[in-house]
Amino acid sequence: MSASNENGVRLDKFKNKGKDANELRRRRVEVNVELRKAKKDDQIFKRRNVTTLVDEVTSPLQEKSQNCQATRQWTVEEIIAGVNSNNLDAQLNATQAARKLLSRERHPPIDHIISAGLIPKLVAFLGLESPPIQFEAAWALTNIASGTSDQTSAVVEGGAIPAFIRLVISPHPHISEQAVWALGNIAGDGSVYRDQVIKHGAVAPLLSLLAVPELSLFSSGYLRNITWTLSNLCRNKNPSPPLAAVQQILPTLVRLLHYDDKGVLADTCWALSYLTDGPNDRIEVVVQTGLISRLVQLLGSGEIAVVTPSLRAIGNMVTGTDEQTQAVLNAGALSMFPGLLRHHKSNIQKEASWTLSNITAGRDSQIQDIINAGLVPLMVDVLRKGDYKTQKEAVWAITNFTSGGTVEQVVYLVQANVLEPLLNLLSTKDSKTILVILDAITNIFLAGDKIGEAEKLCMMIEECGGLDKIEALQSHENELVYKASLNLIEKYFSGEEEEDQCVAPELTTDGYAFQISENQSTFNF
Amino acid sequence: MFITDIRKEFYDVVVNQRVALLVSSDIDALCACKILQALFHCDQVQYTLVPVTGWQDLGTAFLEHKEQFRYFVLINCGANVDLLETLQPEEDSIFFICDTHRPVDVVNVYNDTQVKLMIKQDDDLGVPSYDDIFRDEEEEGGDDSGNESDGGSEPSGKRRRYDEGEVERRIERQRATREWEARRREILFDYEQYEYHGTSAAMVIFELAWVLTKDTKDMLWWAIIGLTDQWVHDKITHMKYVTDIATLQRHVSRHNHRNEDEDNSLSIDCMRISFEYDLRLALYQHWSLFESICNSSYTSCNFKLWSMHGQKKLQEFLADMGLPLKQVKQKFNSMDMSVKENLREVIEESSNKYGMKDIRIQTFGIHFGFKNHFLASDIVHAAAALLESTEKDDSPGDNFIKALDCLSRSNLERLHGGIDLAKKKLMAIQQTVASCICTNLILSQGPFLYCYLLEGTPDVKLFSKPMALTLLCKYLLKAFVRSTRNKRCKLLPLIIAAPMDVEKRTVIVLGIPPESETSDKKNFFGRAFEKAAESTSSRTLHDHFDTSIIELKMEDRTKFLDALITLLS
Repeated sequence: MSASNENGVRLDKFKNKGKDANELRRRRVEVNVELRKAKKDDQIFKRRNVTTLVDEVTSPLQEKSQNCQATRQWTVEEIIAGVNSNNLDAQLNATQAARKLLSRERHPPIDHIISAGLIPKLVAFLGLESPPIQFEAAWALTNIASGTSDQTSAVVEGGAIPAFIRLVISPHPHISEQAVWALGNIAGDGSVYRDQVIKHGAVAPLLSLLAVPELSLFSSGYLRNITWTLSNLCRNKNPSPPLAAVQQILPTLVRLLHYDDKGVLADTCWALSYLTDGPNDRIEVVVQTGLISRLVQLLGSGEIAVVTPSLRAIGNMVTGTDEQTQAVLNAGALSMFPGLLRHHKSNIQKEASWTLSNITAGRDSQIQDIINAGLVPLMVDVLRKGDYKTQKEAVWAITNFTSGGTVEQVVYLVQANVLEPLLNLLSTKDSKTILVILDAITNIFLAGDKIGEAEKLCMMIEECGGLDKIEALQSHENELVYKASLNLIEKYFSGEEEEDQCVAPELTTDGYAFQISENQSTFNF
Repeated sequence: MFITDIRKEFYDVVVNQRVALLVSSDIDALCACKILQALFHCDQVQYTLVPVTGWQDLGTAFLEHKEQFRYFVLINCGANVDLLETLQPEEDSIFFICDTHRPVDVVNVYNDTQVKLMIKQDDDLGVPSYDDIFRDEEEEGGDDSGNESDGGSEPSGKRRRYDEGEVERRIERQRATREWEARRREILFDYEQYEYHGTSAAMVIFELAWVLTKDTKDMLWWAIIGLTDQWVHDKITHMKYVTDIATLQRHVSRHNHRNEDEDNSLSIDCMRISFEYDLRLALYQHWSLFESICNSSYTSCNFKLWSMHGQKKLQEFLADMGLPLKQVKQKFNSMDMSVKENLREVIEESSNKYGMKDIRIQTFGIHFGFKNHFLASDIVHAAAALLESTEKDDSPGDNFIKALDCLSRSNLERLHGGIDLAKKKLMAIQQTVASCICTNLILSQGPFLYCYLLEGTPDVKLFSKPMALTLLCKYLLKAFVRSTRNKRCKLLPLIIAAPMDVEKRTVIVLGIPPESETSDKKNFFGRAFEKAAESTSSRTLHDHFDTSIIELKMEDRTKFLDALITLLS
């Protein structure tokens, strides 16, 4: 958004059709955010039903002996009676029974417990001076908060946030961890509760837990829980988390980013990807910490759980200003991309292509960096063989390339045989993508015009069957597609007779100048 | 789902609708189709009749008609494969399936909305119970929890904490799930292992007509032909045949009863159906007795007519009956009345002496007019010959119509044409059987017998058709069992292959179960063919509604067979 004036002037000079690159970039981001949101919702839903095993046995929460006896399940009515008695032991037993009901995998009676009015009692137990009952109540509330938004609200309205924050610094690690977990669930509900958790002052005690010289003294389960809760404090937009809190958390994230544990690294990278998923000033805050080079390192870690979020974070950063993009390039990010574009997971290929599409939307020197990193042939490969979503991203990368690149760069792109796979994708059903491809073709022709090679381009397009496809688009139901294809045909492919006479001999003499033009001083195609 | 009340759940539903009638290419299906057509005419139900020869055909027919039709009636096709998976219909398409193919696909059985099976419950179906093979989604949860964490997916926003006991229970449950799945595989394997046939479609539809009290003698006759088709093409056990014959006999007596007394006696031109113990001699009333004996599988195998010895025995047999050769070799119709009078008894008596105790078979015949007398099996042979006619200018569609036509009494010319074709076909079969036996073309491959008809064999084109090939295969196996001295070989199933499409270089391959008096007619080749094709990635087409008939690329024949041998050894 806050692209500099100078930049704007440059862009306007380039984007002849009044479409500036920033606009292009932004729109891309919107689309992606939308997709991600949908996916995330889906994810939450799935996880909650499907569940993962509890963290590794090293967690201090893993007390063993307590629940061996009395496997019989209590009814909610029995629990109410127990909780309301004046006897601490009875209260403890009832709380534990409630916790057990809520911990069973199928159909935990969350709503039943809520409507029985147990939440205020449970919250009150958090403040008792009895670690066992604190722990059981914290666990029960954690599980209630893990449910739907309404269920989480019930916990928040019971006044649980300040109570949990007090427990974060409990001397008993298992209670502390449970409180951290509960706060994570509450903050994970959305920006409103996230900000409430922050407002109640959760950040400082959470960070204080990690303010120790040696993180490896913690069990990995404990550390992952804290990291996950921190990542939830960074999560969600509209609004983004308060800037002050972000700045407070970031140094710790930088530290965690150097900690050698897959789960911790993954959650830290996710946190960074949330923080960079926003306006440029938010990206700037992250860039300023100087963690990019570590992120780039992690891009090459080969650990899919880490690569995915770090690539997301890098991808978000290059949606920012040209300077921010430059910072990513300076950290050597492009050297990781050959591996990413050829990654066995198509999702990674897609995200990598998306990232490149935002880099090609930048300065021509940045486009040159992509060329120098040898990525263009790989992009063409992806365009040819990637899955459809990846191809769509690659199309954007190509179109941005053709609109921002110099004539020389566009010539190089054509020499890398981009035309055929690009034109092949015109047979897609998605009119948006078709328009983007037609844009790219138009841009390539503009470059061709400048060096007087438009006719050869026509030949090449016709040779690979592209002309037929463009012609067919004139009967497309989408008005814009129809117009764009008509424009191309009228401008470059009409006047058959005239061309027939002069093109045919030319073809036989220096035919496919495109292939051999590297040896020539001009940019002949 | 199975329909329990065929009238309410099927007929009342379609009676005011337009119906697409998809009919498979076999005689039973044609008969069922005739009955249904007659009913539809009664009630002025609009329908479109589409003949289908295989799954691809069925798919195309469905695609072509799904826009205009909501109701599809499938006759002798569709039951043994997951139909919704195959056709991918919209949710409002409804399929009524009247099919003899077993086992019925379990998804078809348990689909309550779109698939309605018109299949008699007293057939020995043995469908696994729902709980043994399906589980509700929810119970299956947790399946993929193990690898979730390395998928690179975004962490969930909220997490619930589980009991430790819960973890153990989960493991226990996963183990139980795995066991359940293993058991499910086993149950399904047992259930789907063998292919066989259930109650004739024509009989099922006839029962509908009866329930509607709209049954006529013509319909009853078609039901009889449908059942007889199952016997002629050896699809059902002898036990099943006899039981169903008894059912039909009750209907026949009911119909005949109406016209018993003098006042109501029928004109000679009207059709009369009669139950008969007739001879297992194909088409003998429309042929000469001699030729019928030579070209009927039962007699030909018993005498071993492919050998000199057999021919001699036949002569002895004829002499024993005391029938002059001249009489025996002339047209049955022209035989002396004196000879014909107690012909059946004479033949039966001598047959008993020659070890042919089962020469008699329970069947039905019809009379109308003075000279028209047909046995049910005559009609089956004629219709089958028309349906699979290999005359040059006949398209499958034409053949279907012709075969359908010959079932009507009004179309005697067509019927006689069919009988002539059927004679040619039976002779071709006998000649091929004789040459295969005499030149030892049947090879033992270990777990099964194998016979390959080379291109250029006489009449080989005829055997590119499923029914003709089936008949040949059955006769061939019977003949082989009679001729071989190898006891082990007598117990083996037979695979036969014949050129199918010379241009496409494909062969038609068919497997049949071992030949025995007590055979349950259950065929395991469908499954075996699938597996062998899969494991060798042979280019096969499993298009036929009988899974034991496939089309195979000629070049892949060897590796396919090798795989089959390994699989079945």
